[in-house]
Amino acid sequence: MRSLLSSRLLWGALVFVAVAAVLPLWLSAYVLGVLTAGYYFGVFAMAWDLLFGFAGEVNFGPTFLIGLGAYTAAMLNNRFGLAIPWCVMAGIVSALIGGLLLAMPALRLRGPYFGLVTLVAVLLLQNAIVIFAGVTGGEIGMTVPDVLSLSAATNYWYGLAFMVICAVILFGLSRSAMGLILQASGQDPIEARALGFNVTKHKLMAFSISAVFAGMTGALLVFYMGTASVGTLIDISIGVQIIIAAVLGGRRSILGGALGAVFLIGASEVLRPLGQLNTFVVSALALAVILFFPDGLLGHVLRRREAQ
Amino acid sequence: MLARQILIDGFAIRALYALGAVGFTLIFGVSGVLNLAHGGIMVIAALIGWFTAGEFGAGPYGGALVGILAGLASAYATYLLVVRPIQRSRAIPKEESEIFVLTGTLLWGIMIQTALAYKFTDNPVTMRPILPGVVTLGGVRTPRNEIMIAVVCWLVIGLVWLLVNRTRTGKTLLAASMNPRGLTLLGFELSRVHLVVWSIYGVLAGLAGVLLASFLGTGSGNAGQLTASAFSIVVVGGLGSVSGSLLAAYLVGYLETLTAYLIAPTLRPIPALILLVLVVYIRPQGLLGRR
Amino acid sequence: MCSRKTAFRSTCVAGILLTTIACLNACSGSTTKDPIRIGVIGEESSVAGASLTKAAMMAAEEINAKGGVNGRSIQVITYDNHSSAAEGVRAFQRAVSDDKAVVVLGSYLSEVVLAIEPWAARMRVPFITPGASSNDIPKRVHDDYEHNKYTFQATTMSEFVAQSVCDFSHDVLVKQFHLKNAVVMSEDAAWTKPLDARYLDCLPKAGLEVMDHIRFNPDTTDFTPIFNQIERKHPDVIITGISHVGVQPTVQWHDQQVPIPMAGQSSQATNGTFWKDTNGAADGVITRNTAVPGVALTPKTIAFVEDYTKRYGLPPAYCGYSSYDMVYVVAEAIKRAGSTDPDKLVEALEQTDYIGTSGREQFYGRDDPFTHTLKYGPGLITGVHLQWQNGKQVAIWPADVANGKIAFPSFIKLSAK
Repeated sequence: MRSLLSSRLLWGALVFVAVAAVLPLWLSAYVLGVLTAGYYFGVFAMAWDLLFGFAGEVNFGPTFLIGLGAYTAAMLNNRFGLAIPWCVMAGIVSALIGGLLLAMPALRLRGPYFGLVTLVAVLLLQNAIVIFAGVTGGEIGMTVPDVLSLSAATNYWYGLAFMVICAVILFGLSRSAMGLILQASGQDPIEARALGFNVTKHKLMAFSISAVFAGMTGALLVFYMGTASVGTLIDISIGVQIIIAAVLGGRRSILGGALGAVFLIGASEVLRPLGQLNTFVVSALALAVILFFPDGLLGHVLRRREAQ
Repeated sequence: MLARQILIDGFAIRALYALGAVGFTLIFGVSGVLNLAHGGIMVIAALIGWFTAGEFGAGPYGGALVGILAGLASAYATYLLVVRPIQRSRAIPKEESEIFVLTGTLLWGIMIQTALAYKFTDNPVTMRPILPGVVTLGGVRTPRNEIMIAVVCWLVIGLVWLLVNRTRTGKTLLAASMNPRGLTLLGFELSRVHLVVWSIYGVLAGLAGVLLASFLGTGSGNAGQLTASAFSIVVVGGLGSVSGSLLAAYLVGYLETLTAYLIAPTLRPIPALILLVLVVYIRPQGLLGRR
Repeated sequence: MCSRKTAFRSTCVAGILLTTIACLNACSGSTTKDPIRIGVIGEESSVAGASLTKAAMMAAEEINAKGGVNGRSIQVITYDNHSSAAEGVRAFQRAVSDDKAVVVLGSYLSEVVLAIEPWAARMRVPFITPGASSNDIPKRVHDDYEHNKYTFQATTMSEFVAQSVCDFSHDVLVKQFHLKNAVVMSEDAAWTKPLDARYLDCLPKAGLEVMDHIRFNPDTTDFTPIFNQIERKHPDVIITGISHVGVQPTVQWHDQQVPIPMAGQSSQATNGTFWKDTNGAADGVITRNTAVPGVALTPKTIAFVEDYTKRYGLPPAYCGYSSYDMVYVVAEAIKRAGSTDPDKLVEALEQTDYIGTSGREQFYGRDDPFTHTLKYGPGLITGVHLQWQNGKQVAIWPADVANGKIAFPSFIKLSAK
C-alpha cells in the first residue's frame, strides 16, 4: 500500500521537477525570480513541517533560525569577505545553536506556551539586530558584496536544485524509522516513552535538522537577494507566510510545504495589480483554506489514499 | 520629583494596557483562544470612533460609543466567522485545533490591518480628549484626560473582577474554563457562555481602543504591537487571571518606563522581553496563573 | 473508483500550479515597445508614498497631452512596495526586466532606496528617489561613481534639511525671539543620523546651544518620559527630526501642555491632513517643508497644487512635488540625450537645470562630496518653514515668501524676550 502511494507521489514529483527544470527556456527573468524565491520558501516550509508535523512542535518563529543563519553569513561576508560556502556553513552552525536553545524550553512546555517562546525569540532577535545596528545594519539591513549569480536562469536552477535535494532528504527522513518515532513522540509522548523510545533525543534531533535546513536556506537566500534585512528575513509576517505555506500545502506531508510556498508566492504576485489589497486577499484565501480544507492541497490527496 | 514623575507618568497608560490584556486573558481562560487579532479589534474601535467623532460630527462621546460598538461587532465577527468554525470543524483533530485557531486569528488580524490601512492609511489618528486641560498632581503636570482614563480603566477592571469572581455568571465562566463538559452535564449551554465571554471581550477591547486613541493616538500600523503587548502582559501575569493581567501590566509597564527614563529611550522594549523569557523558563504558567 | 479520484485530484493540483505559473508569465508580459516606460515605486498605504505615485502619473498625463517626448508617450507603471525593502527591490527588478522601464522613480523611505541602489548599479538603470533623504544615498554615488552613477536623489538631503533648520533658527528663533538653547529630539532612523550630526554642528553656529540630544525608538507610542526629560533641562525650543512618528508626539505635546515650542523637521506635520489627524493639536507646530499651499516658490507651484488637489481630493505631500518635477526632468533628459540609453541618460540628467515646483533643481556632480543630490541654497532649493495656525499651514521663512507671523499657543512659555 505504502509503496503504491510513494510511487504515485514519486512520479508526480518527477514530473514536477522535469517541468520546472525546463521553465527557464520560455519564462521571463522576473517570473523566474519569483519562482526562485518560492523554492527557497519551500525549503523553509518543509523544515517547519518536519518540526510541526512530526515532532508536534509549533514554531511561530521559524524566522528566528532563518535570521540567525542569514545574518551570521551576511556579517561574515561583509566584514571579513569570507567566501560564500564558509559563510553558509557558519550560518548553519549559528542556526543549529539557536535551534538547540529553542529546544530546551520545548522539552518542558506544551502547546501554546512553547509557541510563545518561539515568538519571543523572534522579537528578541529583531530587537538585538536593531540595537546593534552598527554591526548588523539595523533596520536598513546589509548589502553583501557576493551574490550567487547575476543570471536569473542560473539562480533559478540553483534554487530548484537546492529545493529538490532538501525535499528528498527531508522526505526521506520523515518516512524513515526516525520519522515514525518522531511522529509517535509528537502525537503521544507518554506512550512513546512507554514503548521505550528516547523522546528527548528524537525531539532534539528534529530541532537540529529543522535548524540546519532553516539556517542554510536563510544564508543562501541572502546571497541570492544580495541583501539581508529584518523586513525580508525576520519579520513575523515572513514566519506567518511560511506557516501558511506549510498548512496550505498540507501538514505532515513535507512535500506539501514546497507546493504551498510556490503557490503562495505565485498567488501574491498574480494578485499584485490589486495593490494594497493583495495581502488581504492572500490572507483571506489562506483563512478559507484553513476553514474548509484544513488538510491542505497535498494533504487532501494523500489522506484519501491512506484512508483506504 | 523624578520618582513622582515616573510613578504618575506610567499609571494611566498601564491601566489602559491592563484593560486590553484583561479581555485577552478572559478569552483564553474561558474559550481557550489566544486571539491574535486583538490589536486589530482595538484599532478598529479606535479608527471608527475617530471617524464618527470627526467626519460625522458626533463629538467625543458619540464617537467613543460608536467605537465601542464597533469593537463589540468585530469581536463577534472574530468569534463567529473564524474561531467557532475552526473549533467545530470535524476535519481538524482536537489536539490541533488550538494551533489552527491561532493561525486563523493571526490571518484574520492581518486582514483587519490591511483593510484598515486601505481605508484609513497607516497614519495614526487621535480623538479629541474627553476632558481637556491639565492639572498639577503632586507637582507633576498631568492632563485631565489621563486621570479620567486611569479612573475609567480601574473601574471597569474592578467590575470585571467582581463579575468573574463574585457573580453567578462569573462563576459559570470560571467553571467553563475548568471543566466544560461538567458544565454541560449540569445543564448550562456552552455556546451561551462563549457568547457572553466574547461580548465582554468586545466591550473591553473596544473601550481600550477608543481610550488609546484619545490618549496616545493609534493607527493601523500599531495593531501588531498592541497584540504583542497584550500577550506579553498576559503571559507574565498568567493566562486566565484578571488580577494577574493587572499586576503584569504595571510590572512590565514600569520596567519599560524606568528603562526609558534612566537608561535610554531606544532600549525601552528590552527589559520586558527579558522578563518574558525569564517567566516562560522559570514559571511558565505566569505569576498568578492557574494552568 | 478511488484511484481515479486521487488521480483527478492530483491533476487538479498540478493544473492549478501550472496555471498559476502561466498566468504569472502572461500577466507580467510587456506590451508595445513604443511608449517610454517609467516605473514608479511608492507606498500606497502611507500619505507620502501614495502622493509619490499620483504626482508622477499626473505629470506623465500632462506631458502626453502636449505631445509626449519626441512623439513618444510616457507610460507610468506603478508599484506598491508595502514599505518593505525586499518588495521595493522586487518591484525594481520587475520594472526593469519585465516591464522594460527605462527609468525608475522610487520611494520616500531611505531604507528602501538604499536597498534598491545596488540593484540600479547591477542592472544599470537610472533610479531617482523623490523623497528619501539619507546622506548615504549620494555618498555611495561619490564613493563608487562608475557603479552607482545611476542613482539620483531629488529631494533635500538630510544634512541640507538640518542646515535649512539652522538657517531658519538663526533668522527667526535667535534674531527675532532671542532664544538661547535647544534640545534635539529625533527618531532613531537612517535619515536622522546625518541630520542630527549636522544639527549638533550648525545650531550652535546659529546661536542655539544644544543642551541635550535625544534619539528615541521609532516604535515609541508614549512620549511622556521624553517630554519630561526635555523639560527638566529647560530649553527654549525643541528641534525635531521625526518622520515615522508625528501625530502621536504632537498630540501628547499638546495634551500635556509642554511649555516649549517645537520646530525642525516633522514630516507628518507637512501633510495637509495633519490638522485633522491631530484634532487641532498641531496648532503652533513648526516644520520645514518642500513647499506650502498658497505660496508661490516658483511660477509652477500654485498651479501644481491646485491641479493635484482638484484631481485627487487632497494636497500633495512633499515627495509629490519632487516626483512630479522628476518626470519632467526625465523627459527633458531624454530629449537632451536623444535616446534612452542608460549611460547617456545619466549624463543628460547630470546637466539638469530645471525650474520645478519647489525651486530650481540642479544636481551636484562627480567631484562634489555628495554626488547626484539636489543642490541647496538661495536661488536653488531652500525649502520653506511653516507653522500650523487655525487649521492652515502658514509660511514663516524665508522672509521673501512668508505670508504670516509666528504665533504660539497659550501654553507655550517663551523665555527671555
